[in-house]
Amino acid sequence: MEYLYMSNHAEFLVLGAGPGGYACAFRAADLGLNTVLVDPRATLGGVCLNEGCIPSKALLHSAEVIREASHMSHWGIGFEKPSINLDKLRDKKESIVTSLTSGLAGLSRRRKVKVVQGTGTFVDKNTVEIDGEEWTFDNLVISVGSAPISLPGWPDDDRIWDSRDALELREIPSHLTIVGGGIIGLEMATVYSALGSQVQVVEMGSQIAAGSDKECAAILHDALTSDGITIHTNTQVVSVNTASECIELTCDGDFTGVIEADAVIQAVGRRANGLKINAEAAGLDVMPNGVIQVDSSCRTAQPNIFAIGDVTGNPMLAHRATHQGHVAAEVASGHSAALDTDLIPSVAYTNPELAWVGLTPAQATDQGIVVKQTSFPWAASGRNLASGGGDGLTKLVYCPDTNRLLGASIVGRGAGELLSELVLAIEMGATLEDVALTVHAHPTLAETTAFAAERALGTLTDL
Amino acid sequence: MKNHSASPSVRAKALELSIDLEKLAADLDKRQITLDDLSPKQNTGRSQVADSLSYWDVDHSLYGDVQIQATSKIDRVASDNLSAANTVIPQVTHQDHADITAIEALRGQFKLEAKKRGVKLTGLAFYVKALAHTLKKFQKFNASLSADGQTLFLKEYVHIGIAVDTEHGLMVPVIRNVDKKGLFTIAAEIIELANKAKSRKLSADDMGGASMTISNLGGIGGTGFTPIVNPPEVAILGITRTETRPFWDGEAFVPTKFAPLDLSYDHRVINGADAARFLAELTHVLKDPRQLLV
Repeated sequence: MEYLYMSNHAEFLVLGAGPGGYACAFRAADLGLNTVLVDPRATLGGVCLNEGCIPSKALLHSAEVIREASHMSHWGIGFEKPSINLDKLRDKKESIVTSLTSGLAGLSRRRKVKVVQGTGTFVDKNTVEIDGEEWTFDNLVISVGSAPISLPGWPDDDRIWDSRDALELREIPSHLTIVGGGIIGLEMATVYSALGSQVQVVEMGSQIAAGSDKECAAILHDALTSDGITIHTNTQVVSVNTASECIELTCDGDFTGVIEADAVIQAVGRRANGLKINAEAAGLDVMPNGVIQVDSSCRTAQPNIFAIGDVTGNPMLAHRATHQGHVAAEVASGHSAALDTDLIPSVAYTNPELAWVGLTPAQATDQGIVVKQTSFPWAASGRNLASGGGDGLTKLVYCPDTNRLLGASIVGRGAGELLSELVLAIEMGATLEDVALTVHAHPTLAETTAFAAERALGTLTDL
Repeated sequence: MKNHSASPSVRAKALELSIDLEKLAADLDKRQITLDDLSPKQNTGRSQVADSLSYWDVDHSLYGDVQIQATSKIDRVASDNLSAANTVIPQVTHQDHADITAIEALRGQFKLEAKKRGVKLTGLAFYVKALAHTLKKFQKFNASLSADGQTLFLKEYVHIGIAVDTEHGLMVPVIRNVDKKGLFTIAAEIIELANKAKSRKLSADDMGGASMTISNLGGIGGTGFTPIVNPPEVAILGITRTETRPFWDGEAFVPTKFAPLDLSYDHRVINGADAARFLAELTHVLKDPRQLLV
């Protein structure tokens, strides 16, 4: 049975079909709400699926294979220099994206979620206009995401890319400069470096992957450097000159001088899209940075309007948006729900990967929380060495009184996958003893977690 | 950073049940809250009382709206104590009433003195003093049994516990060395300890080690009740509301003020005749407080 939308009314209307928006719409439909999902794109999935997480992972996988193959020469196994067919690689990436987005279209059909293509803006607190057509709603979820920040004063030039352009894989520039050493910038550096670009990263802060554990970030820094990527920290681009043969970036700081690049990627962060939806018409306050503030139940100042995902501010991560999406759908359906956690894991899918959750020692110091840390170096991990893994570290941050885990950082191959055990452990209130006494399979990289805990407890026999 | 931890599913359930986990953790004095802690029926300690918890395992919401409230730490301590007392101690309650005409008269005479000292001389102060006097004469009542029942400890001191009803639950502060203190001192200490109990400021030193406990419901009402002995003590004195009754003095009926007294005792230590004699002595002293001097 189809719902009728004769009057353009939705019990539940979701603005934006990214990972938060579609999860929210699907959950609402599963809870019995007549649901409409609105997005300007022809396909569902938002930035994450179409031009973010997923396509970047496809390219990072290629980078990983190229890198692994070249490293096998140390093992006496030689490969020819890879030939790269950019069109085919792009097609492969597109086909992965298409299979996922069409899967989502199928899921929404099965749930009888009506998908409307268009851009929604508020008319009042119960009405939005979608490409000229008015829709009324009982409850609405704002999940309009974020967009890459363009550096002010930079010229318009098609050799200056944002992350979306970079993922289009137009060409492999022989000299590529990335402004911004955060997760996105570092992932792009990993991809293009493996594909053959000479990559330089310019980062304003004192470390790459701001917010991550300093020691782990330093290990990643060294690994990227030894793979041929040049990283300038404490360095700012002070002027940009678009010459015909190259783009000249004048830098100041730890590196002072001019970088000549064939292409430049701006990866200096993302800005919430809250200012693009005429939210004032619904009586909503939007902060100057585009963020719409919500409580833990994702409610805005209007009781029937929720907001989730990047538009609600940092951390702008898909998995946070998805959880918020479920919360908003459940609260709108009359259930009690909240995203009642600070434990949103961060992962840089670089080579090696860098992943962290909870408190880092630096954050603990800032917040006046007394913590201790323990770590296990991957140089002592049999599985890591036997798999050709490079340097790595598993670090745990814990409360010295109770031994309760408060944070974890891992740098090394597959760190993003390894982290989940620790997110669960921290959520469950696990102590060092809990982790150490849990039998981890040998030989695995996951063992390093138990080893780090044992090290703090004085029970480690592997160091 | 929170002092307690609870897994995501426990936090979700707590939200659903509108349970404040921070408060629950403090009440339960627990660092880690589990799903079991959210349902009162799972509270520990009850299994000692009943072989089966099934009598309490009822979904009350089937019969109407129900509010869910975690029991407080104080409630649970009292609950464990009372359950143990009622399960372990064979208790008997002996009843009598005391003519308190003389005490009431004395209170009237001391009114000015009390005002001078800034103390309210309550009836309870007299009961405490009279009980101490009686305990000195009947040492078996000022005793405790060892856990294995093999040894009786006879106490050389006289400390009296006062059951205090507070909004946090029942508490029993103890007045030390009552036999060596005057009425005004006792009255002042009762007030001080009751106030401390009400503001949750009782220290460990203020409680425990009593010879006997008094549970005074006189200010509230009732004609009698069966108080439960507060272990490891062997007896407890209950008092209910004073009544004016006709008393035959041999020639005529005289309106007389009587306080009903209920003495519950541990029958393992005290037998019925002892209890009757004890209460007879106590009513005698209350009727003629001059006995306190001899």
